[in-house]
Amino acid sequence: MSRPANPHLSSDDFDALLEGVANARVGEHLAACALCHAAVVADRDVVARLESLGRFSPSDQLADRVMAAVILPDPFALHSLGTARRRLFSTRRRLAVAASVAVVLVGAMGASIAWTLGNRELLASLGSSLAGEAASWLWVALRGSAANLFEQPWYGQLRELIGSPGRLALASGALSATYLAGLFALRKLMALPQGGSHAHA
Amino acid sequence: MTERRESLAAATDQEVVALARAGAESAYRELIRRYERPIFSLVFRMVRDRELAEDLTQETFVKALNAIESYRPEFKFSSWIFKIANNAAIDHLRRRELDTLSLDGSPHAETPEAMEATALQIGNRLESPLEAVEARELGGAIEEAIGRLRPEYRSCILLRHVEGRAYEEIAEILNLPLGTVKTYIHRARNELRQTLAHLRE
Repeated sequence: MSRPANPHLSSDDFDALLEGVANARVGEHLAACALCHAAVVADRDVVARLESLGRFSPSDQLADRVMAAVILPDPFALHSLGTARRRLFSTRRRLAVAASVAVVLVGAMGASIAWTLGNRELLASLGSSLAGEAASWLWVALRGSAANLFEQPWYGQLRELIGSPGRLALASGALSATYLAGLFALRKLMALPQGGSHAHA
Repeated sequence: MTERRESLAAATDQEVVALARAGAESAYRELIRRYERPIFSLVFRMVRDRELAEDLTQETFVKALNAIESYRPEFKFSSWIFKIANNAAIDHLRRRELDTLSLDGSPHAETPEAMEATALQIGNRLESPLEAVEARELGGAIEEAIGRLRPEYRSCILLRHVEGRAYEEIAEILNLPLGTVKTYIHRARNELRQTLAHLRE
């Protein structure tokens, strides 16, 4: 059983007519159907009334009232304790999180101090043992590094250079000049361009 | 200073938002300047109370600007702020069940002065006093008819035919499927057509 098609214009047809993109079928129907024609005229009238409505202005103080309640992002937030405090306490949730973190930190510090006071001897022996171990590791690392240095092929040339103060001064001067030239080139590269145009999308 | 304000006025919303995120107060004020009238007009026509509309507009801007860090630049800023404003208005209407229109002023106003101060002010664009009176009457009729619509229809029709937003953007703002938005707008136009029929006769 086939369903009879709606003989009148659909809502999409009305939209198309309002936007001026209706097809020939819609135009033909409109010319033949007085009901749809009247509905389209009334629709256009409603839309014209809506589009002619103006905008209302809020009071002049709105911007100032908004700005008084807005927290501006602070690029130097670490230096601004006031901003950090306002942000921290801006909502109840943030306040609860901050309070929880503070309780955990203070609790951990208290527990740490109490444990330290109760285990002084253990800590002292642990400290001396660790210090001895660290000194031993340091000495081994130093000896290894020295042995590694003496085995390098350029070590002999370095010793000769150190043995001649004139050549040493010359080499130091050349190295310093190279370093300064490098710094100067880097500064030139990093300098911001002067002037220029601002493009807007 | 003036030059900076002019360059801000020529910048896109996304550029102004980027500056606001960097903490520039002038960028915040520029966003308020751009959207205070559209947002206030939408909210005022939704809640039909000037004082309340001011409060909700302020709430909208404070909420949006304090959350500017969470704004996603791939979406239009206008959609984002209209969404916040519409949610604020709808939430209020749901809370208070304030669906009726009062062209005479706020239902909360207690004195004639307060009634007058909060009354819907209809724009006058014509020259002769007679035309001005007619414009006020016609404007009043359409405003009254909008006020009789369901809040959901009201948002849709205002965004489409007063603010000139595309169907897709309205769907994004109201978080509704595109088909639902089209249906709401079509039904709203039908209701307005019927309400305003006497003016065409």
